[in-house]
Amino acid sequence: MASAYYEFYRGSSIGMALTDSLDELITSGAITPQLAMKVLQQFDKSLADTMVKQVKTKTTLKGHLHTYRLCDDVWTFIVKNPSFKMESNEMVSAPRIKIIACKNGDAVEAGKK
Amino acid sequence: MSFALPARQVTFGRSAAPYQPPQAQPPSQPTNGLALPGSSSYSLPGPSGLALPGPSPLSQSHTPPPPSSALALPQLNGTTAVSKGPTASVPPSTPPAPVVPATPVPLTLEQQHITAVEGIVPTLQNIVATVNLDCRLDLKTIALHARNAEYNPKRFAAVIMRIREPKTTALIFASGKMVVTGAKSEDDSRLASRKYARIVQKLGFDAKFAEFKIQNIVGSCDVKFPIRLEGLAYSHGQFSSYEPELFPGLIYRMLKPKVVLLIFVSGKIVLTGAKVREEIYTAFNTIYTVLCEFRKP
Repeated sequence: MASAYYEFYRGSSIGMALTDSLDELITSGAITPQLAMKVLQQFDKSLADTMVKQVKTKTTLKGHLHTYRLCDDVWTFIVKNPSFKMESNEMVSAPRIKIIACKNGDAVEAGKK
Repeated sequence: MSFALPARQVTFGRSAAPYQPPQAQPPSQPTNGLALPGSSSYSLPGPSGLALPGPSPLSQSHTPPPPSSALALPQLNGTTAVSKGPTASVPPSTPPAPVVPATPVPLTLEQQHITAVEGIVPTLQNIVATVNLDCRLDLKTIALHARNAEYNPKRFAAVIMRIREPKTTALIFASGKMVVTGAKSEDDSRLASRKYARIVQKLGFDAKFAEFKIQNIVGSCDVKFPIRLEGLAYSHGQFSSYEPELFPGLIYRMLKPKVVLLIFVSGKIVLTGAKVREEIYTAFNTIYTVLCEFRKP
């Protein structure tokens, strides 16, 4: 069911590091590209599951919702002047952010039923 | 006639909207409005050839507010024999207002009712309109490229799109039909519909702007005195439905004009089902006299 997972976590720093390492291993001949693909698919799945099940950190965010979009079960929000309030009461702000929200693997499966 | 309705003026004063076709000459409106009382299917000279009963956005934006309000009234009230007065023959460019005081036109029964309702004018809360863009649409393209669009075909077979000015929501269907809701005035509804059509056009569809029609107008107001709903339901049983266990308001189905009113003990009234704003006003004026009878002591 690896195909049920989004690949966007590959763009995160941990995903980039993994991709780089796999590239290196492929070029040195230590693993096959097929195995590298398998690893990446497992990474997609594991990260999606972990994010849902183990990450409990929360933040609240306030700002002006400039644009929203829902298509193919993916929400896109562009928020202007957001301010994040972290659990540690730390405030972080930015002029503009884009939030892309997808259903996690389980929810995608549930949605199909 | 306009002098008879001082309280109405405010609500009709609408600024000219830029999208209106310049070839539709406002002067034709006053003449026709007077000459054809009760004509509801009068078609305006405009590019879209829309049948716009009552004062169209065109007349409202070009004529001064008082005449426009007064002129609108004969249309919803077929029985009212309005003397045409000199205004009908006034040259098109002259606003009729200054001429009127010289010719005292007797008040019709309807207008007397209107003047009796002191200072209470229903506020328009929502206008629902439909437009045909007259072209098949690929909703996914729209959802992907337009801003503030939602498309979830599993739940609803239309793109839900919103704009901020005028603050409205549109349902855009693959057939090219569109429903625009949330506008507070006829002009806003039309302007918003045009904006949505433009958005769809900019995404590469050959969208037109056909068959714009206002389907429903909702208004509300407060008579500022409590009402005996039981008494009203009893004596107007033919029109009323009052089931406090189901819904706290009395549902009053007026036949002329065909408007449904929700009447609450508090004196707050919701009027819905009208196609033109005058129906809301006439319905309120009609019900106001009734409500006074059932005022709680």
